[in-house]
Amino acid sequence: MRYGHRAALHPTDLDIAVGQSVAIVGHNGSGKSSLLRALCGLEPAARGEVILHAQACHHRRSDVEIAYVPQRSDARWDLSFAVGDVVAAGRRRPWWRRPGRADRAAVADALASVGLGDLAARPVTELSGGQAQRVLLARALIQRPDVMIMDEPFTGLDPSTVDTVVDLLTRLVDDGTSVCCALHELDIARAAFSRTVALADGTVVADGDTETVLGAVGVERIFTRRATT
Amino acid sequence: MTGWWSWAVEPFAFEFMQRALLATVTMCVAAPLCGIWALSRRLVYLTDAMSHGILAGVAGASIVGGSLLVGGLLAAVTMALFVSLLVVRVRIPEDGAIGVVGQGLFALGVIGVSLQSDPKALSHILFGNPLTVDQADVVIDVALAVVVVTAITVLRPVLVATTFDPLHARTVGLKVGLVDAALLVTLSLTMVTGLVTVGVLMAVTLVIAPAVTARLLGHSLNSMTAVAVASGVGSGVAGLLVSYHAGLPTGPTVALVAVLQVGFAAAWTRPAVGVRRVLLRDRGGHRDPAYSPTVLGYPN
Repeated sequence: MRYGHRAALHPTDLDIAVGQSVAIVGHNGSGKSSLLRALCGLEPAARGEVILHAQACHHRRSDVEIAYVPQRSDARWDLSFAVGDVVAAGRRRPWWRRPGRADRAAVADALASVGLGDLAARPVTELSGGQAQRVLLARALIQRPDVMIMDEPFTGLDPSTVDTVVDLLTRLVDDGTSVCCALHELDIARAAFSRTVALADGTVVADGDTETVLGAVGVERIFTRRATT
Repeated sequence: MTGWWSWAVEPFAFEFMQRALLATVTMCVAAPLCGIWALSRRLVYLTDAMSHGILAGVAGASIVGGSLLVGGLLAAVTMALFVSLLVVRVRIPEDGAIGVVGQGLFALGVIGVSLQSDPKALSHILFGNPLTVDQADVVIDVALAVVVVTAITVLRPVLVATTFDPLHARTVGLKVGLVDAALLVTLSLTMVTGLVTVGVLMAVTLVIAPAVTARLLGHSLNSMTAVAVASGVGSGVAGLLVSYHAGLPTGPTVALVAVLQVGFAAAWTRPAVGVRRVLLRDRGGHRDPAYSPTVLGYPN
């Protein structure tokens, strides 16, 4: 993947099994977000392809549902949209069709599953950071995803909200959803993800069992050195 | 009481004032609805430039004897296309592209208007005059406003999705560029709706000012919509009455009332901050860190 003349992600082969939880770690600018966006089809790859359940999904016509949870700072939390309207945005429907009874029921279910069942009418401007992150999760859950792709969902969350999100991800993986999550928190990667992929300067430098990858002195050094500069 | 009643009601006994009221209120309902989204999607500068660019289409249509509304709409769409072309293909910064294209079309429009025999034409197009609208203008205004209100209502879910998080919207299959284009065309229609009533330059005030008032007073999208429409209609009616009684130009008076409402809304929602700052500065004793000079960026 390239941004102008700069290669953000060098040729990378990555196989993710159904129901696997994968943590993507690496320093800022290592290519984590680029990898996730390529997986979602948001950024065109200079070459190569993304294959989901044996279907190429360049144009997002695959039957496999991918839910993308972007970084919290990517969304407009300064606008007074209702939480329910934001979560409903995750439902696929023709642009001309207004949300119906089934959509509203799905929104209520998704919000209840992240513990925000009573906040559907609240404006997003009045949410805490933890609630905002759970709203993004609810918007992803309403898609009933086969693959959940998350970009730094734990940044700025307090420990109890982290536990809530981790519990939710664990339930998803148990139900057969593949989870691929970029994060900086190595302790969360150790606790919640069975596999870890380490990136440095757009290249995969380690890939395997989380304990093995994060226990490798070299990988940890690359990550911490670049992350603190 | 009777004096106020006659002040507010008697002018509308005249047929031309009834037509003016209908045309102005129509514009004042449609424009704020668009304005909420123009403000949310940071399209205020583009909207302002579009109001200038429309002049070229109106002048061109006037010269060839075509419909001013169609001419204005074509100019607005052309402007949006050229801006997109400069931003995407030539990689000019968006505000630069909007400035160049908008001012270029405005210059073209002024030249076009100067070629016409009627010297008042420019003033009429820029600032409008609802007192001169005829039955046909009212019908066209109402029809355009119905299209605008319907479009904004139907597009509301996708506007929420693409405004809140355009990146995610793409992952669920929404064409963000198409939604942008639809909103721009709707904005163009709104501006053209205001052409004969408040004029193209004042129309942009009715798009933006009630939306800003709504942003200050509303706490949700629904309440913002209600406040924006109320503010717009209030501006239209009050502006018409003031201009009638004081003999002022109607378009600018309506626009000025809308701007004054923003001032009142700001004073209503933020009075405590100003008073608190003054009190804390004067006392010099207890200081709330949130209002300390350091936090505000002033030297200690």
